[in-house]
Amino acid sequence: MSLLDVSGLVVNRAGVGVVRGTSVTAEAGQISVLLGANGAGKTTLLEGIAGIAPVAAGRVVLNGADLTRASPGDRARAGLALIEQGRTVFARLTTEENLRVSMDPETGPENAYALFPELRQRSGIAAGMLSGGEQQMLVIARALLARPRVLMIDEMSAGLAPVIVSRLMKAVRRLADEGMAVLLVEQFASLALAIGDRAYVLRRGGVVYEGGCDTLARDPERLHHLYLGDAPVGRGE
Amino acid sequence: MDGLLTAATAGLSAGGAYAILGVCAVFTYRLVAVVNFTGAAIGATGAFAMVALIEAGMAQFPAIVLGVLAGTLTATAIGVVMTRWFSGATASTKAAVTAALLVGMIAVGLRLTGGQDAHLFPAVAPGSAFRFAGVEVTNAGVLTVILAVVFTFAAETFLARTRTGLRLRALSERPMAAELMGIPVRRLAITVWMLTGAMTTVALIIIAPQRSPNFASMSLLVVPALAAALIGAFSSFRAALLGGLLIGIVEGLASGIDRFSQYRGAVPFIVILAVLLWSQRGARWDEAR
Ligand SMILES: Nc1ncnc2c1ncn2[C@@H]1O[C@H](COP(=O)(O)OP(=O)(O)OP(=O)(O)O)[C@@H](O)[C@H]1O
Ligand SMILES: [Mg+2]
Repeated sequence: MSLLDVSGLVVNRAGVGVVRGTSVTAEAGQISVLLGANGAGKTTLLEGIAGIAPVAAGRVVLNGADLTRASPGDRARAGLALIEQGRTVFARLTTEENLRVSMDPETGPENAYALFPELRQRSGIAAGMLSGGEQQMLVIARALLARPRVLMIDEMSAGLAPVIVSRLMKAVRRLADEGMAVLLVEQFASLALAIGDRAYVLRRGGVVYEGGCDTLARDPERLHHLYLGDAPVGRGE
Repeated sequence: MDGLLTAATAGLSAGGAYAILGVCAVFTYRLVAVVNFTGAAIGATGAFAMVALIEAGMAQFPAIVLGVLAGTLTATAIGVVMTRWFSGATASTKAAVTAALLVGMIAVGLRLTGGQDAHLFPAVAPGSAFRFAGVEVTNAGVLTVILAVVFTFAAETFLARTRTGLRLRALSERPMAAELMGIPVRRLAITVWMLTGAMTTVALIIIAPQRSPNFASMSLLVVPALAAALIGAFSSFRAALLGGLLIGIVEGLASGIDRFSQYRGAVPFIVILAVLLWSQRGARWDEAR
């Protein structure tokens, strides 16, 4: 059984099925990459898993415990973390205060600074004043300090310079190597596939491809067709 | 000159109460993003509960404790309503909801307390504390000012230094992100309502003997309170503290001058108007709402 097992999830928005019976999994030490065109339902799927979008059917099971009916806070405390789209730093709090919100007072912010040393220099600065890349580092670091078992990240590279993006990707890979399960939603398909293990492509709320990241990375044409919708629904490997 | 000083010090206890109410308004706005029009009505509920208990024969001290408790419970109830049904609403909707609640509370409060019938509010801190330049300063004045100052610095320290304060600041900025991090969002919000409810009730119980003791006029003390909060742009506790004291003192001065005394109730209004004009076409008020 997977660490995170999402099966048959249905999320309706304004009466319309946005996520339609979707199943994904995440394993400890691995990165599951979730791809799909704009509006495919990636964000809504993560929100359903995190408990902030109403789930009409399906199950969310973390390490054997059924969280489908749990509140977002209970899911977080059970080890599920969602880094939302759009770098949701607490802008009026300093960098270090942002970290202190989530960290265990005993352990301190050292793990975060080890992953992103530049945050240490910015520790006393209001998070709203950080650059986009620094803000993205901060939200990742903040989530990490709560020591989640599963880390879901929505569009972390949007609007950032390629150097920063590859830095972030490496950091995420490192977190997975240390044992975290990662569910990564990305527009930057090639970079995500390069660090990921398992790939899913979502179209109109359903999974149209599930397989190894390397398979998909070797076949950009297929990926292109999966996005656009004229490729046969399939499985990799 | 002596007369003016007397009049100004007479405004001190009202000013202290306005300051406490104003700091509470800032607290509520900053932490749960509500411009709370029911602030003084919550305190009035507690104060009238205390009077009812005393009229029923209870001793003063337990009656005060139970009155503060009643105010706290009222605030909690409003907090539950606001967090359960209006947590996703815009700031203006939330302000409108509390304004509607105020109207309802005044109607019910007047009915339950017998309309304009006079109730005798016991002086919590009777007598004079000291004489200053030949002017008598009352215990009530000293007590409210001390309470206001202590409360202001306690609020600041709590937010800046404690883990709960930090989480409250985070929550006030991004409730969703805070909730996703496992912060008990609703419980913290209701704690804010409880704290301000208790504090407001204390303030109103102290100044009630000097005001016209009916439920409506006590509930409308929210006007000077919001004027004080506005001086602090709904964000600075210290400015709200000074603002509240200032409004009380100016009111006192106005009532010491025969020609103005009938208009002293207009002081908060003038303050609101002046602050709004000064702060460039009401940008602060808009932001605060
Ligand atoms: N709260 C909502 N109310 C109504 N419709 C919504 C809501 N949230 C999302 N939708 C719709 O659901 C669909 C999927 O949205 P979602 O944000 O999950 O897509 P996405 O794959 O994350 O897209 P993007 O890559 O642009 O972030 C879209 O058509 C969107 O308009
Ligand atoms: Mg999205």
